[in-house]
Parts: sequence; structure tokens; C-alpha cells
Amino acid sequence: MLNYIWIALIAIGILVAVGNDVADEMRNTYRNGIPVEGTIAIDKSPGPLRNSWEGDLILTADAFNAFYNTTAANADIHQPIVVTELSPGEKSVSLPLGPSSPDRWKEMAKAAASRDKLTGKVSSMVISDDQQRARIQFVLEPIHYMKSKAVTQAALDYATTAVTIALGLIGIMALWLGVMKVADEAGLLKIVTRFLTPITKRLFPEIPPDHPAVAAMIMNIAANMLGLSNAATPMGLKAMEELNKLNPKVGTATNAMVTFLAINTGGLILIPATAIAVRAAAGSANPGIIIGTSIFGAGCATVAGIVAAKLLQRLPRYRKDYEQVAAKEVSNG
Amino acid sequence: MADFFRALINAISILAIPLLLFVFLGWGIVKKVKVYSVFVEGAKEGFDTAVRIIPYLVAMLCAIGIFRASGAMELLTTVLAPVTNLIGMPPETLPMALMRPLSGSGSLGIMTELMKVHGPDSFIGILASTMYGSSETTFYVLAVYFGSVQVKNTRHAVPAGLIADLFGMLGAVFICRIFFGI
Repeated sequence: MLNYIWIALIAIGILVAVGNDVADEMRNTYRNGIPVEGTIAIDKSPGPLRNSWEGDLILTADAFNAFYNTTAANADIHQPIVVTELSPGEKSVSLPLGPSSPDRWKEMAKAAASRDKLTGKVSSMVISDDQQRARIQFVLEPIHYMKSKAVTQAALDYATTAVTIALGLIGIMALWLGVMKVADEAGLLKIVTRFLTPITKRLFPEIPPDHPAVAAMIMNIAANMLGLSNAATPMGLKAMEELNKLNPKVGTATNAMVTFLAINTGGLILIPATAIAVRAAAGSANPGIIIGTSIFGAGCATVAGIVAAKLLQRLPRYRKDYEQVAAKEVSNG
Repeated sequence: MADFFRALINAISILAIPLLLFVFLGWGIVKKVKVYSVFVEGAKEGFDTAVRIIPYLVAMLCAIGIFRASGAMELLTTVLAPVTNLIGMPPETLPMALMRPLSGSGSLGIMTELMKVHGPDSFIGILASTMYGSSETTFYVLAVYFGSVQVKNTRHAVPAGLIADLFGMLGAVFICRIFFGI
């Protein structure tokens, strides 16, 4: 299943990206080659030491929306602009992108020659007599294959991110695995396990109730519920390692592993700290109001996950992996 | 009551790790375990486990990155919009529901954006943050956990995880409509 989903994500991603690029070319979404018309409020004019005008490019929202055929802009656009005289009669324009820039231009810059600005050629510029304002027409650099470029960049970026995440785990992994080992040797894990045996026996019937895997799973679920993700991951990985020791067919998931991960992906957490923090930052009057609803939602997810895992493991296609193993064990004597 | 519950859980969350360290290591000393050398022995595995995960995580995150960057999510949102209208889920929150199992940072971004546009205390803001708290990043969890034990045939883990996500999202819509519904 993961096989198909994985290839589907990649194949759909690439096909949609190419499709979007073709559609963009046909519609000329980025208006390649068509001049933009606007007014500049000039701050600085050319002098002995500079050959450029600096100021604010002003475009009305209606003009911008009509030009790009969107409804994205809802206020007039004030965009910093630099017009440089390269040679008499030839001027280039540069739009450094900042917080006030329209989203469409920010998006276009991702596929532009330089990531933080859009450049172009001025086709006409008429400066008012008082040197305060100018009418300008310019053609921005052509933007092509936007999504394909984004896909390439994403693949490279995420590969790096994956390694960063994994390496970042080393320290906390070492810490918690060390602590768990001490707890194990001291017999503490067995005590933790004994309390919850009635539950774990039902959830993981294949696992002996006093197996170290059970303790690690309990600790992982408890840490997740308290929102201690730093501690939860190492304990969860420890649990997987212990479960794998009972795995007759290494490389294939066991029923217990799937049930354990279904509980994990349910993500039951008593205080959804991240969501609360974002709500508080966004100025909510009551950031914690979602605690109850989140527990309910995650509870639904967890119960559904466990039920699904238990039901799906009975399907012939998922059972056959284990029946083959059992048959082989019998024939090996 | 809710405030008390929140304060209690917060206190437990903050004290849990120091307390856990103290109790575990203290218990070890009581039981005459050579805590330092046993700790180091266990900690050694940390490096191997982390490195073992890398190929699985690279494979998973790259595929998700490509999918996200391509604009396929917008397409999927358009296709699924009629279904969400049927269950009373605002179409704005559909990208949130779709992104949640794929990417933690992606769904965090969508949640933040929805709150910025609609306000954190609007129905959409509340629903989006409930959805965020109602599930985990399934594909990340699968890649990391199965990667650590080199499991390649995941059997029914993906459907079970996705069913959990689906019910988490439906549960979030259901409960938010009851308490904050319009």
C-alpha cells in the first residue's frame, strides 16, 4: 500500500506540475511580454553618483487584478521600484520584493532569475516636470515552468530536511534510550506494564504481557498524550525495536506494530500546545477553547484507527504474509 | 473547571521529564544498577537508530514535497469540495484536512493562514485548530517508526492510519458544529 501511495504522490505531483505549467503557458498567467503600466512616486532622482530612480510603484487594485485576471489584490499596490539607466534610452527596472509586494509577484519571483526581486525592461517612462512622479511602462522578465522548478526545488529541499530531522533525533534518542535501559535493568518497566496488562493484553494479544515492548509502548503513548514529543519518539522507536524482536518475518509489519502505529497516528494529546500557541499568537480571546474538541477529534481518530487495524488484519490479503511464515516454520520443523 | 484541568495538565507536562529522569535513575540506584554504564550502553543505540531512519525519511518527505509543490493539493480541493459541503465542512478547511496526514509544517502553515484570514475565534479558525489537534502526521510517523526497524512491507498500516485521520477530521467537524456551529 505504501508502495502505491508513494509512487502516486510523486507521479501525480509531477504530472500536475507539468499540467499546471502548460496551462500557465497557454493562458499566459504571468503575462510574459506584456507591459505593466503604473505610476512611480519618485524618492530619489539620478545625480552625479547615481544613475537610477528610486521610489514607489503605485498600481491600483483594479488595474492589477485586470492585468493578471485575478481578484487577489484588494488594496492599491505600493511596491518599491528601482529604475536604472543602462545607456541613453535603455532603462532596466528592478522590483525588490518585501512584505508590501503582491502575492502574485512573490510567487513569480520563485521562478525568476533572482529569488528576492523581479527585473524587467522599461519600454517607456515619462517624468513629470517637478520630478516627483513618473508614468512608466515596463515588461517583466518572462516566467516559465514555475511548478516544475518548484517541484525540483522541493525534492532537493525535503531530502535535506529529512537528514536534518533524523540527525536532530540522535541526541534525544541517546538520552531516552539510556534512561530506558536503566529503567529496564532496574525492573521498573515490568512494574509499569503490570498495571495496564488488562488493556494491553486485548490491544496486543500476540505480545507477552510482560515483554519490554509493552512498557515502551505505554511510555510512548503516555508521553504523546502529555505532548512530550521529544520523549515520545525515542520511546516509540524503542517499542518498534522490541516488537521487531518478536517479528517472525523481518521487513514486514506485524499486527501489533500496525495497531501501535494506528494509536500513534491518532495523536491523542491532552493539551494541543502548538494549536493553542498559534491561536494565542493570532489574537484569540480564548486560545484554549479547542482543548475539549481536539480531545474528542483525536479520540475518534484513535478508536477508528484501532478498530480499522483490528478489522483489516483479518483480510486475506493482509493475513497471507503471516500464514506463509507459519507454514515455513512448520516445514522447517 | 476547564482552566483547572488545563493548568493541571500543563504542570504535569512540565514536571514529567525531570520527574521521570529522577524516578527512573533513582530506582536504578535503589536496585543497585550501575546507572552510568548502563545508561551509556543504552544511549549507544541512539545514533544507529537515527541514521537508520534517514533513507525512509528522505523517500517519504521528497514524495510529499513534490506533491505539495506541484499544486496538486488545490486540484484535489476543487474535486472534493462538493463532498465537504454535504457534511457541513467549510471548503476553506479542506486543505487542512488533506494536508494533516502528509506534513506537520504544511498543516501548521495552513492553520496559521486560516486564522489570519478568518480570525482565530471564527468557526473556521476553531475548526482548523481542532483539526490540527485531532491527528498526527501519519506519513511521517509511518516513515520514522517503520524506518527504524527496516520494515518495507507495511501491510494494513497505511489504510488504518488514513482511516484514523478521516475519523479524526470528521470528529472535529462534528464536535465543532455542535459547540460552535453556525
